[in-house]
Amino acid sequence: MAGLPNIEAVSLLLILYTLWVPKLTPLIVCAFILLEGVTYGFGVWWVNYLYTWPLLVFLTHLLRRNDSRIMWACFSGAFGLCYGALCSVPYAVVGGFYAGFSYWVSGIPFDLLHCCGNVALMLSLYKPLSRCLHMIGKSLDQSK
Amino acid sequence: MKKNGMLLAALAIAAAILLGVWMYFRPATTEGSKELDIQVVYEENSSKDFHVSTNAEYLGEALQEAALIEGEEGPFGMYITVVDGVAADDSLQQWWCITKDGEQVNTGADTTPVADGDCFEITLMTGY
Repeated sequence: MAGLPNIEAVSLLLILYTLWVPKLTPLIVCAFILLEGVTYGFGVWWVNYLYTWPLLVFLTHLLRRNDSRIMWACFSGAFGLCYGALCSVPYAVVGGFYAGFSYWVSGIPFDLLHCCGNVALMLSLYKPLSRCLHMIGKSLDQSK
Repeated sequence: MKKNGMLLAALAIAAAILLGVWMYFRPATTEGSKELDIQVVYEENSSKDFHVSTNAEYLGEALQEAALIEGEEGPFGMYITVVDGVAADDSLQQWWCITKDGEQVNTGADTTPVADGDCFEITLMTGY
């Protein structure tokens, strides 16, 4: 999916991991963030990863009692819409409000794509992946 | 069902508001001829100055017209690979950074508007 701007499966997977294998999710998030830094370098963008993905997991945990595919698609889409604003925080801290604001505005078209991608992926994959992860979660619990 | 419809409508409204913000605040382009000053900063801080005359509305187009850069189309627009014949070495995590009057621009080369008298710097950076 690297060839598609801001179309990613990370949001989908982190939401589903938080819902179905919640005990493993902190480990998964930490490993993902660390591997991204090791693979692509620890730039300013990596600072965003330190709080955006854990925030997604935290918010998912708060809403975990919902079981509506549409609701999770909207939640994932909203996260995509907000992603640029969340990522603009370090730029605003370093360069001032205008730097952060212009960073956010210039990325809005990509936030819109991010939203559409997240909604489409959640709508199409929520049920099959939930079934798989539910089974994995159950087998992990039984193996203890 | 009604709740789901409301959620989808709220998301669509939020997306429309964001689109409106972008339409209102995005950098405007200007038509007509422009004179641009471009400073290319290579490794070890050596640099060279270029003057570009163009009718292009965006920096990428102006620099390509002047045969100053080469780039490839990526998911986020043009990615500059070569400036003044000097290629950024991916294996060393090198990349070309565009700044305007020393300030970082938040747009790609092909989405950065140019105006008469603008000064840009293109600097070879190491490390993502």
